[in-house]
Amino acid sequence: MTATAGSRLRALASRPAGWSLGQRLLAAALGLVVVILPLAGLGLAYNFRESVTASFDQRLSSLLQVVLADLDYDPAEQRLQVSHSLGDARFQRVFSGWYWQITDRQGTSLVSRSLWDQRLPVSMADGISVRNISGPRGEPLRVIERDVHLPGHPQRLHVSVAASREELDAEVARFEWLLGLSLLTLGGLLIGGLALQIRWGLAPLRRLHADLERVESGAGERLDTRLPGELSELAEAMNEVLERDRGLIERGRSAAGNLAHALKTPVSVLKTVADRLPEAQRRQVRDELGRIDEAVRHHLARASAAGGSTLTGRVRIGEAIAPVVDGLARLAGRRGIALERELDPELTVRMDPQDLQELVGNLLDNAMRWAERRVRLRVHAEDDGVCLLIEDDGPGMSAAQREAALARGARLDEHRSGSGLGLAIVEDLMTLYGGSLNLETAALGGLAARVRLPGATPASPRHR
Amino acid sequence: MKILLVEDDRALAEALGEALRDAGLLVETAESGGEADFLVRTERYDAVVLDLGLPDGDGTRWLAQWRDDAIDLPVLVLTARERWSDKAAGFSAGADDYVTKPFETAEVLFRLRALVRRSHGHAHPVLTLGELTYDTHAGSISVAGRPVTLTAQESRLLAYLMHAAPRIVSRGELAEHVYDRDHEPDSNVIDVQISRLRRKLGSERIETLRGQGYRVVAPEDGA
Repeated sequence: MTATAGSRLRALASRPAGWSLGQRLLAAALGLVVVILPLAGLGLAYNFRESVTASFDQRLSSLLQVVLADLDYDPAEQRLQVSHSLGDARFQRVFSGWYWQITDRQGTSLVSRSLWDQRLPVSMADGISVRNISGPRGEPLRVIERDVHLPGHPQRLHVSVAASREELDAEVARFEWLLGLSLLTLGGLLIGGLALQIRWGLAPLRRLHADLERVESGAGERLDTRLPGELSELAEAMNEVLERDRGLIERGRSAAGNLAHALKTPVSVLKTVADRLPEAQRRQVRDELGRIDEAVRHHLARASAAGGSTLTGRVRIGEAIAPVVDGLARLAGRRGIALERELDPELTVRMDPQDLQELVGNLLDNAMRWAERRVRLRVHAEDDGVCLLIEDDGPGMSAAQREAALARGARLDEHRSGSGLGLAIVEDLMTLYGGSLNLETAALGGLAARVRLPGATPASPRHR
Repeated sequence: MKILLVEDDRALAEALGEALRDAGLLVETAESGGEADFLVRTERYDAVVLDLGLPDGDGTRWLAQWRDDAIDLPVLVLTARERWSDKAAGFSAGADDYVTKPFETAEVLFRLRALVRRSHGHAHPVLTLGELTYDTHAGSISVAGRPVTLTAQESRLLAYLMHAAPRIVSRGELAEHVYDRDHEPDSNVIDVQISRLRRKLGSERIETLRGQGYRVVAPEDGA
């Protein structure tokens, strides 16, 4: 009945499904940068290479025109000759990478000096063709070739002009290197910028989360609504839910309390009146009244117990139980019993303060009912939780009595009523919080009640 | 033992009052805090049974007021409250003990007797003076192990003297603590009842100190 909005909020806050928003956005940004920048780089590099190659080809083509223009055929001597040396020293230097060659059917007829004794492979294609080949020294060459008819020459001639691709390749490589560097820098800047943007953009969400943790830990009651529009509405809605949740718990508690309160006085009257009845009837009426009483108190205690399901966080044990222990200590003092406390004021436990008060109140009350002179309350940290030990120097209990005392509603002494029910309430609380209650023999000689409370939050909201 | 029962629920006040009277207690009732306040300040009681839910203000408020004014008589609180923080507020106001509604009459009686006994400084429930014993739990009196039958009035008288021993108790004090305020006795009545007690217990057990009052003693000790 009280396992409501609180547990749902906590589940949302503490168990994110997979990646956080920030991680998602950053991963998406990374993905985009990693995919898009290389693609853009490849495209740019391809286009650059195409355009550089085209202009290179144009130069080759004009060199071809020059060779053709300088080519003469002397029909008298049946000799081909190139009238000028093409005006470029590179065609003269041996194996410079710049070559021209004119072939006819019989084989090579004329080559540039740079080719020396080597020959360029000839393509049989018609028209003008441009292709990549390996040169005499294995160097990469780009060659342009075409067939021509010279006036007076009986055969078709094949003219090739080749130039080293090293320059071209070096230019492209330099461009690609620069491009790569620029893209890397750009990518780095983009990712950094995106990360900052995500951080800034998600800052309100992080604030909301921190706020939720604050409310969950009990440090605040409401979420701060000073957030960007969409989130502010969400925070307001959450606040409403929280408030309604608290209201529901409070109303449930007070309704149960009022009902119990209204029943108590009439039951007291009936109990007192029943004492005057003949023995048989007296017993019957008292038994039934006892059942009413026990049911009322049991269910009231359960309705009042918040359990581990509300947005309550850690409370300082000493602070929470102080009102009850102080009051009981005063009562004990007037009864001649010393109530000793050993408690680290910094110890905390994840429990509703009122539930903690019920727990300690019931156990101390029991101890005080049986004690001769001393009752001792000790609280210490243990493993990952907290241990409360409440001892008295009274008559104590045998193992069988201890077992019976833990059985629901056991009442061990009519004059000291309530002890059985007190233990039952403590046991209910232990079930709610996942703790344990043990009865032992106390170092003081009487009974010791040992309560262990886990430090962690209950793993899942429980249903009742 | 004279008790003030402060309870606004008339049915409960009647039933509980009657049960306590049956057990030999002298019970006066008040229905509001104001009335109780007046009675506590003008009459003598051995203890107060105080319901916390009163029509004119919380019982703890009245109780705290009495404690502030050094009215130190034992107070047994009747509470219908369940929350420990609420109950503890009652103790902090100065209650000596409490019972939770719905209670057993036997428990109220048990706690009242214990409170009165402790308020006189007796730790043990059985008061002994020589061969004379008074069991505060049972309200029974015996001499040398033989039970003695007393009337309710005689038993109240002796119980008061036993609680007070070895102090001397004046006639006025006895009249205030042992008799109903509407039937205050003249000193003659007390004298008559004291002499009846002497007949039943042995005359040497109750001393008369002229001009001061009475005192129970243990003649066996040669006092």
